[in-house]
Amino acid sequence: MKVELKKIQVLRRTVQVSVIVLLLFIPSVSRYTNYVAAREIDDLLEKWDGTLQGESLALIDGIFRGLPGGEKERVGQIVRDREGVLSQTQQFRGGSWSAQLGPISLSDPLGALESILARQKVVRVVVVSLIVPVIATLLFGRIFCSWICPVGFMLEMSDKLRGALRYLEIRPHDMHFSRGTKYVLLVVGAAIAFISAAPVLGYIYPPAIFNREAHDLVFGIFDRAEEGKFGFWAGGLTWMSLVLLGILLFEVFVSRRWWCRYVCPGGALYSLIGAARPVRVSLIAKKCTHCADCIVACPIGLNPMLNKMGVECDNCGECISSCHDDALKYALRLRGGEENVPVFDKSKAA
Amino acid sequence: MMKAHHSPTPRGGRRWFLHHSGVLALQAGAVWALLMGLLRLRIPDGTPQGARPALGIVRPPGALEESEFLATCIRCTRCADACGVHAIKLFGPVAGSLQGTPYLDPIGAACNMCLACGPSCPTEALMPLDAVAEVDMGIAVVDDRLCVSINGTGVCGACFTACPLRGKAITQGIRNAPEIHADYCTGCGLCEQFCIVDERAGVRAIQVSTNRLWDGIAV
Repeated sequence: MKVELKKIQVLRRTVQVSVIVLLLFIPSVSRYTNYVAAREIDDLLEKWDGTLQGESLALIDGIFRGLPGGEKERVGQIVRDREGVLSQTQQFRGGSWSAQLGPISLSDPLGALESILARQKVVRVVVVSLIVPVIATLLFGRIFCSWICPVGFMLEMSDKLRGALRYLEIRPHDMHFSRGTKYVLLVVGAAIAFISAAPVLGYIYPPAIFNREAHDLVFGIFDRAEEGKFGFWAGGLTWMSLVLLGILLFEVFVSRRWWCRYVCPGGALYSLIGAARPVRVSLIAKKCTHCADCIVACPIGLNPMLNKMGVECDNCGECISSCHDDALKYALRLRGGEENVPVFDKSKAA
Repeated sequence: MMKAHHSPTPRGGRRWFLHHSGVLALQAGAVWALLMGLLRLRIPDGTPQGARPALGIVRPPGALEESEFLATCIRCTRCADACGVHAIKLFGPVAGSLQGTPYLDPIGAACNMCLACGPSCPTEALMPLDAVAEVDMGIAVVDDRLCVSINGTGVCGACFTACPLRGKAITQGIRNAPEIHADYCTGCGLCEQFCIVDERAGVRAIQVSTNRLWDGIAV
């Protein structure tokens, strides 16, 4: 049992890394599509051979030619089926803010909510793009934050940096703020969208910034290659990346997991949608030894020992993996369970 | 946004309520100011980077009326990824509230009207269109002083040849001088891309001018 639940963390990290790879892959596929459509791809593969851009195009070319319908036979030779490849590549669009993956259209509920409020009209495509995210959140809670969000992953990694700071004999602060901040931000943002018809939260919502920055980065690299300059180049990034960097530094030096715990309006919306989720972290009180390792492990700063995982929990399972006594597990139930009474408090235990 | 972890006043009661509503109001005010500041942010002359001052912002095919477009578009990059010729570009953060919204800059790559961007939009800020005839992004404008066929320095006709609706949107007059017909011209910009006149500031003899209105004012 223990081993299997440890594997959940491995799976979660794999999903998070794949999302980041996907965010770089989709804009590259877009550029590959342009080159295939313009019948330039074979020339470019030859001309850019050995460079970062050339190698990534070759990789993408390999993937799409390998798919069914990607190749055809012409005059005894196996060549790329241009139409087949194009029909496949055009299935991938967007990123962590809103994406098209094959037949599935996905949108962040925050973006959809703002767009609907600002336009004051509900259109079908928005609702269709919400089906998968909302159903997943209704069942599993804030899993976007713990499994998909690229910024969540980035900040989880920076959280590990706080431990490393100890070797430099720096003790980072851990300032606490109100968890209500994110709900206030959500309501204020929604109000601005409704009153002044401007979807403002999309500008400061980190997964949306990350989405646009990844797009700009990849497009910048390919634009540069078209001018004959190769290799990695971060010049496509805009200063919105500094917002992400600022959040990261603030979390490392001032407040642990500040953005996700206290400020993120998207996290607030996911929390509200997933408030009645059936899949919850649950405690087996008999096994719990009150070692408090789960409290240290929880990225959101909750206390799983109380057995009352409310709206904030993002079901990441860090507490389950950190528990040495197999006292925590995922369980199917609608509310927080019975309160786990600390053993040292004999008056209540009786 | 700050709230002390250990509140100075005991929970419940009038002072606690005042303290907390004060903190809430401060948070809301700070966030409002931040977002409003972000919205106002434009470069000094009021023209966002990438937009061509005299010609306005050319939006991709099927875009809604400008104020409704800005309300509906969630700045997600999907249309730019869907564009088959990399004609759709996105405004950077310098453009303030226009940040992340798509525009066309036909000199580098003009729209070939494949209409892939409409279906890619998750909010219908770009409406899906069925036919090229429905596209209305702008209109080509000829600068008589620069056009070689009009100013008498040559005989060209490149714009006529490039036009996907040639014979309808562009017809030719004396010495192949282009004549634009607003009823048919979609504003795709292929004429601008292939115009042989290449002035220093990237000015062509034929350019796409937007015909979009923003709350009644031309953008």
